[in-house]
Amino acid sequence: MTQTFIEILRRALDEELARDKAVHLLGEDVAAGGAFGVTRGLAQKHGETRVRNTPISEAAITGMATGAALCGLRPVLEIMFIDFATLSLDCLVNQSAKYRYMSGGQLSVPMVVRTQAGAAGGAAAQHSQSLEAWFIHVPGLIVVAPSSPLEAYGLLKSAIRMEDPVLFIEHKRLYTMRQEMPATVELPPIGRARVARAGDDLTLIAYSAMVPTALEAAEELARSGVSVEVLDLRTLLPLDMETIAASVSKTHRVLIAHEAVQNGGVGAEIAARIGSELFDELDAPVTRVGCPFVPIPFAPELEHALLPGRENIVRAARELLGTQG
Amino acid sequence: MARVALEIPKVGLVMEQARLVRWLKNVGDTVTQGEPILELETEKSLVEIESTETGRLVEQLLAVDAEVHIGDQAAWLETDAASSAGVRAGSLPAASPSAARGAESGAGNASAPGGAAKSGGATASTAPSASAGNAAPTSAPRSASVGGAAPASAPRSASVGGAAPASAPRSASVGGAAPAIAPRAAPNEAAASTSARSIPPPSGTGSANARGATNAPPTRIMCSPVARRLAAQNGLDLRTVKGTGPRGRIQLADVRHAIEAKAPASGPQPLSSMRRAVARSMTISATTIPQFIVSQSVDWTAVQAKRTELNAHLQHGAPKITVNDFLLQAIARALLTYPALNSTFRGNPDSPDAAIVPAQGAHIGLVVAVENGLLVPILHDVQQLGLADLARRRADTVDRALKSRLKQAELEGGTFSLSNLGARGPDRFTAIVNPPQSAILAVGRQRDCVVAINGGIHVRPMSELSLTVDHRVADGRLASEFLRYLVEILEGNEWRA
Repeated sequence: MTQTFIEILRRALDEELARDKAVHLLGEDVAAGGAFGVTRGLAQKHGETRVRNTPISEAAITGMATGAALCGLRPVLEIMFIDFATLSLDCLVNQSAKYRYMSGGQLSVPMVVRTQAGAAGGAAAQHSQSLEAWFIHVPGLIVVAPSSPLEAYGLLKSAIRMEDPVLFIEHKRLYTMRQEMPATVELPPIGRARVARAGDDLTLIAYSAMVPTALEAAEELARSGVSVEVLDLRTLLPLDMETIAASVSKTHRVLIAHEAVQNGGVGAEIAARIGSELFDELDAPVTRVGCPFVPIPFAPELEHALLPGRENIVRAARELLGTQG
Repeated sequence: MARVALEIPKVGLVMEQARLVRWLKNVGDTVTQGEPILELETEKSLVEIESTETGRLVEQLLAVDAEVHIGDQAAWLETDAASSAGVRAGSLPAASPSAARGAESGAGNASAPGGAAKSGGATASTAPSASAGNAAPTSAPRSASVGGAAPASAPRSASVGGAAPASAPRSASVGGAAPAIAPRAAPNEAAASTSARSIPPPSGTGSANARGATNAPPTRIMCSPVARRLAAQNGLDLRTVKGTGPRGRIQLADVRHAIEAKAPASGPQPLSSMRRAVARSMTISATTIPQFIVSQSVDWTAVQAKRTELNAHLQHGAPKITVNDFLLQAIARALLTYPALNSTFRGNPDSPDAAIVPAQGAHIGLVVAVENGLLVPILHDVQQLGLADLARRRADTVDRALKSRLKQAELEGGTFSLSNLGARGPDRFTAIVNPPQSAILAVGRQRDCVVAINGGIHVRPMSELSLTVDHRVADGRLASEFLRYLVEILEGNEWRA
């Protein structure tokens, strides 16, 4: 039987709460299930001490979680939208990310900031952003962006077991995605990308909700004889340059697709590193597909028109390969 | 109007034929004396042939890939002396396809000075000395003095002045070409207009062309990095590859196709010009030069220590000093000490004019293995170079040898060659003399050997040196003394950094 992203994520939290008494959930309405229902039923099962509602203050939630983590708990907090992570930035950037370094390794902040990102269903400019690039700029943070329910299951569990603060970005559009839960799931290591589809002609690097889109594009390109290798980054910080290098050394062409705008994006960082570390492997300029540099519009038609999709990737891939049409 | 034929000069001592690789100038381009105009592939390298004249290329007489011989007419150049009038005509395209037309319309247009202009033109085309106009800067004084001396040609120098932008205020009146003013201005202004003219080339259109041509960077080959790397690994000249990528970029697939196309076919293969040259030269060596070999071991301990020390203090980016650089410096010193070996044998032993020709300075060839053959670029006057400079020169020369970009002069004038097959080479080997040189040193692989020193057992980095000598030039005793002295230098501590 298949389950949704939300259900599988809930299962991961449930199992981690059961496995380790130090694991706590914090966030707005999480005891009531949270804005997206991910934590539904967990307060009843594990108690409202461990699944705790907080005031509507992202700064407070993050500060509380950071303090709890310093004191030995493993808080998993929920920031309802990554758009509101702006309010938790001070604590996240100046405190959570710094303690291990500034204490010479005596302290650590084993917390997971679950947050929802991306555009879906007309949530407009303030609830639709993809701000992950801000966080990959901060030493001391780990940034994870799963691409499917099962990936999220494994990565969330791995993140909870990390000793450092992890920003765990769930794409709203993936919440309805369904997958069958196998009997056992091997927990993926944080910091390793995965080859989502093997290919020879082009490396298509994606993460989060852009991975299923990239796989669709790869399928379409395969019909015209183009063999695309799709990399699912899974972790945006640290970047798995080893997997990227192995793929680029095989295909010699790179297309990076993300929903965030190109300007200063994750793709820019990857492109720069490929340019300097893998220059001699390149057969074509590293190319990016991203959102146009505008806020996400409210009107669903405009939102749809704006978001980079399969066609954008296919077109960019064909241009890159010099096989228009 | 002067029209000059450019001929294929003799390139190198033994060039018999060559292939035209490409034109570096197109019809209509302005060519300055000394500027490369076409590229030839001779037996041993690619050579750029320079124009001996300044002017506009009006016709190419040889096709790309054509086999060319010394003295072949390669191109027609329209030299500049009178063509300024032609350019001034305006109606005439800069790329005048025919010199005759240029002259005609030039003369016809210079209506104000009338016949004077025509006679000016005639002077230029009939008197070769007035094709002083060939070289833009140097032509100035001469055409000016012509203007001063002969009233008939005065308008011409006036018109020349008029066309020179730098002299605008003055030449405006002169170039206005009122005949009454021109003769007066010309003599007085001779010196001044000389300096003015020495800046811009003689004509408006021409100057734009000339500048474009002289300053234009060599065409950059658009090629993706990975394709460039693959081409380099396979010794493929990117200029021979057609790019199919965006804007003609050479991509991986293009290089792969080119390499496949180049893959050797079965059956007898005709000789490449490189193999032919090697075959010819080595046949001459083996059949006409009596050669003998002397060998001796060398202990590298001192060289290694010095090399480590020097390389630790190299300027950033400077090429590392290698054992070859030490060998080159040592050979140079030994050659100057034993000038009898630093010479070449000339002629048939029986002929009265047979002679041993001593060399001035140490000009040492370095055997470089290149794709499908070898080249022996000569490092000239090695005795003048310290090790760091030698390393730089050697690295540059080898690099260009690998890219077939040696100048012909770098393949000539040597008396001695160094052949070092490197760390992966054999323990010892012998070479045969590369004519017209008279000796070659073969350096075996460096390896740790047990040696007896002062009754003790030591392990030292050793190589076996084998010196092959042209017996017509020197005998065994001299060769062994030379080799012993060379080893002494290599095992000593007197190096010029």
